Amino acid sequence: MSQNPFPLDKADLLKAYRTMRTIRDFEERLHVDFAKGDIPGFVHLYAGEEACATGIMMHLNDNDRIASTHRGHGHCIAKGVDVHAMMAEIYGRSTGACRGKGGSMHIADLSKGMMGANGILGAGAPLICGAALAAKVRGDRGVGITFVGDGASNQGTFLESLNLAAVWNLPVVFVVENNGYAESTAMEWAVSCDSYVDRATGFGMPGVTVDGTDFFAVYEAAGEIIRRARDGGGPALLECNMVRFYGHFEGDAQTYRAKGELEAIRASRDCLTILSERVIEAGVVSRDELQAIDREVADRIEDAVRAAKAAPLPEASDLLTDVYVAY
Amino acid sequence: MAPVVGIVANPVSARDIRRVVANATSLQIADRANILLRVLAALRACGVQDVVMMPEHGGIRSHVERGLVRARARGEDLYPAIHTVAMPVTGTAADTHRATREMRLAGVAAIVVLGGDGTHRAVAAECGAVPIAGISTGTNNAFPEHREPTITGLATGLAVTGRVPPHIAFAGNKRIDVSVNGGAVAEMALVDVALVTERYIGARALWRTENFRELYVTFADPEVIGMSAIAGLLEPVGRDESGGLMVRLAPGGSETGPASDPGTTTLLAPIAPGMMAPVSVTDWRRMPAGVPFVPKVTSGSIALDGERELSFTERDRLSLTLRDDAFHTVNVAAVMRHAGQNRLLTGTPVPVSADL
Repeated sequence: MSQNPFPLDKADLLKAYRTMRTIRDFEERLHVDFAKGDIPGFVHLYAGEEACATGIMMHLNDNDRIASTHRGHGHCIAKGVDVHAMMAEIYGRSTGACRGKGGSMHIADLSKGMMGANGILGAGAPLICGAALAAKVRGDRGVGITFVGDGASNQGTFLESLNLAAVWNLPVVFVVENNGYAESTAMEWAVSCDSYVDRATGFGMPGVTVDGTDFFAVYEAAGEIIRRARDGGGPALLECNMVRFYGHFEGDAQTYRAKGELEAIRASRDCLTILSERVIEAGVVSRDELQAIDREVADRIEDAVRAAKAAPLPEASDLLTDVYVAY
Repeated sequence: MAPVVGIVANPVSARDIRRVVANATSLQIADRANILLRVLAALRACGVQDVVMMPEHGGIRSHVERGLVRARARGEDLYPAIHTVAMPVTGTAADTHRATREMRLAGVAAIVVLGGDGTHRAVAAECGAVPIAGISTGTNNAFPEHREPTITGLATGLAVTGRVPPHIAFAGNKRIDVSVNGGAVAEMALVDVALVTERYIGARALWRTENFRELYVTFADPEVIGMSAIAGLLEPVGRDESGGLMVRLAPGGSETGPASDPGTTTLLAPIAPGMMAPVSVTDWRRMPAGVPFVPKVTSGSIALDGERELSFTERDRLSLTLRDDAFHTVNVAAVMRHAGQNRLLTGTPVPVSADL
C-alpha cells in the first residue's frame, strides 16, 4: 500500500465511504418502495448529494447540532441517526425515530445532535442560531450547522438568521446545498446578488464555494470553517455546488431539466464514484474493501426495510402522546 | 474597420477557502459589474464602439445591463455596444476557453480579462496572438497587475485603436508548460507550478507549506503574493527577463524556528493574502527557457498558479518547460507613459509617427 496522501486516515476514509454508500442505498430503496406505494406521505431524496453531508459531518460530534431540511435523510445518516429507526419512521411505524408520527420530513434524534428535518423551508436556520447561542453560553465549543437549499436561501428566516448569527458572533455554519433548482426553478431566475458568497459578505461573514460532488473539497473547506467557528471566529457560509439524482420529490417528472442532463450528471458528477476511484487509484483502499462495504450496507438497508414492515403502526391512543413537551 | 475588444469576466473567481484560512477579499458580483462598466467607459472614450463578451449566468452581465439602460435613458453615449459570444454556458473554465477561442477567430484586437490567475491562464491558453489586458478580481493574482481598471481600459483602448505603436503597447509574457507522460502539453501556468504532496485536489488552494516540494516560476517577484513571492524573496527574476526560477522545498516548513533539516533555510513568505508562512528551502536555481525540467517529486498534486489542478502518481512522468514570449499583454504602464509624453488625450495629440 502506498503512503496515504489524503487528509483522513484509512479508517476514516472507509467510514466516509460507508456513510455515503448508506445514504445512496437508503435513498434508492425509498425511490423503489415509494413508487410501489409502500410509503405514506412525501419523500425528497438526497441521492447525488452525499459528499456534502458526509464531508461536513465527519468534523462533528454528538454535542454539535444540525438543523436539516425537507431533504434530510442524508444529514440524519451522516450525523449518526440509526438507519433502522429512520426507515421505520418513514414507513410510519411505532419503532421509528419519532414513533412513526413524523415521517420523512420530521426525523429528529437529539441524542445525536440532529434537531430535525423540517417541512418548512428555511426553518432550520433560526433553530440553529438558538442551539449555537446555547453552545456559546455554555462555552462547550459546540457548533451548529444548518442546511438550506438554493431556493429556501431566499426565505426571510434564513436571511434574518445570517444577520443574527453575525450580530451575536455565533458558532454557526450556514450550508447552502445548491443543486441548481428550487423545486423546478433554476437558480439564476430566483436568487438576487447571484452568489451566496456575496450574500455572506453582505452580512459580514466569509463565504466559500466548493464543488459539492468532491468529498475532499467539502471535507477540507468544512474543516477549516468549523474550526474557525469553534475557536470563536464566528459564523460563515459554505456553498456546495452539487447535483440531485432524482426529482424535487418522488413523482416529479423533471420536465424543467434539459434533455440528457440527468444522464450527464450521473455519468460525470457521481460523488460516490469520484471518491472511490480516487482512493483506489491512490492505492490506499482496495476495490474489494469497498465492495465488502457495499454488501454490508445493502444487507443493513434490506434488514431495515424488513424490520420496518414488520413493526406495528402507532395506535389511535398514541395520537396525543409526544405532541407537547412540558418544560 | 473599428477594432472590437473581447471581454472575459469570470463570476466565480475569489470564492475559495482562502476567505476563511487567510482573510482574502470577497469581490461581489455587483463590484465586478461596476469594474466592467469603468473599463467599458474608458474603451468608448478611446473610440472603441463594439465589445464582445463571454456569456455567463453569474449575474455580471445583468448588472452591467442596468448601467447601459440607465445611460441610454439619459441619452448618454458612455459605453460601446455589447455583443455576446453565441455559446452554451457551463459555468466552468471550459466557458473561458471556448469564449476566448471564438473571440480570437472573430478577430478581436485585445481581450480584457476580469478574474484571478486561473481565469487569466484559461484565456492565455486560447488567445494565440491576441493580447490580453488583465484586471485582478481573484484571490492571489500574481499575474494581473493591481491598478484601477479604468486605466487598464484606457490603455487597451489606446493600444487597439493604433495610437500607440505595437512595440510599446504590447509586451511578451512567459509561461510554463507541464507535460505528463511525454504527451502534448497537459497544462500550463502563467506564474507558478507548485508540486505538493497532497494527492487530492480538495479545496484547491495552497496553504499548507509543509506539503510544498518543488516550485517553478516564470517570474520571481517579491512584490506579489503566493508562490512567486517565495522565489522572489530568494532571487528576484523579472517578468521581462528570459527564464524563471526553480525552488526545492523540504518538509517542516510549517514549524517556526530553525528548519528541521540542517541543509535547509527557513524563509518567511506571504503565500496567501494575510498569510505569512515559514517555508523550508533546500536550494534554488535559474530555469532557462526551452529546457525541460523533470521533477524529483514522484507523486502528489500539481498546482497551477496557486491552485491544485491535477494529481499524479509514481507511474506518471512529468516534464516542465518554460517558454519566453508565449503570449502578449497590453503593457498598461508603457501605454500610459507614452500617452502622457505624446499628449494623446489632449485635443491635438502629437502624431505617433513623430515618435518613430
